[in-house]
Amino acid sequence: MKKACEASVRALPGAAVIELTGEVDGGAAGVLTAAYERAIADGEPGTVVLDFAHVDYINSTGIALIVSVLARARSQRRKVVASGLSEHYREIFDITRLSDFIELFGDVDAAVSQLQGQ
Amino acid sequence: MASEPGNERMALARVAEAVAGHGLPAARLERLKTAVAEATMNAIEHGNQGRAEIPVDVEVIEDGDDIVVTISDLGGEHAPAGPVEEPDLLAKLEGEQRSRGWGLFLIRNMVDGMDVTTDGPRHTVRLVMRTGRCGRARSGRRRP
Repeated sequence: MKKACEASVRALPGAAVIELTGEVDGGAAGVLTAAYERAIADGEPGTVVLDFAHVDYINSTGIALIVSVLARARSQRRKVVASGLSEHYREIFDITRLSDFIELFGDVDAAVSQLQGQ
Repeated sequence: MASEPGNERMALARVAEAVAGHGLPAARLERLKTAVAEATMNAIEHGNQGRAEIPVDVEVIEDGDDIVVTISDLGGEHAPAGPVEEPDLLAKLEGEQRSRGWGLFLIRNMVDGMDVTTDGPRHTVRLVMRTGRCGRARSGRRRP
């Protein structure tokens, strides 16, 4: 059963967290774009956290969507970090070199703690 | 299975069920599942052009120490949508490559072997994953 992607956005001092659930595939394009828009609309965060803890599937189109978000963030001089990826998707972030540009954290609390400690 | 978007999830679930208990460690099973999903998605979108009435066939074969998965569509030789280029993340981030184009790259990096054959309209991607078991003589053939 397909679980459509959903996103919630949480604003923190200097950062915004996009918590994703479901499947990050071609069907997630609108959700991810809208979530990024909400994330940057509130307080001009320097960092956007993508939390994948409740994502159970990412395909190549989903990787392309993440690349698009990263490209947009870089053009706006924002940092993107990710949390909650399974070992398998961490490996895919390594193979695609996304992990060269997106710092990975075990969970969203670890990401937020580090960001707030900076 | 019907060539409908999303059916790649069905393919990976059935392949995972078919190879359960056949010696593939969990991490390598995840890699195989990703490769099967990407190859099935290509078969649906590029091979059968999303025409639901044209099936994609997925077959799992245990061949000695290898698990072999074949994914076939009836799209003949797949014409690439544009120049075939190795995905380069930095080029994509700087707008020099389109953000898509990760499917074949992922497949190649997820499995131990991959080849593509075309026989008339039938286009088949064959994925090989070694289980690491040595000397096991049993061979089986199953369709998920």
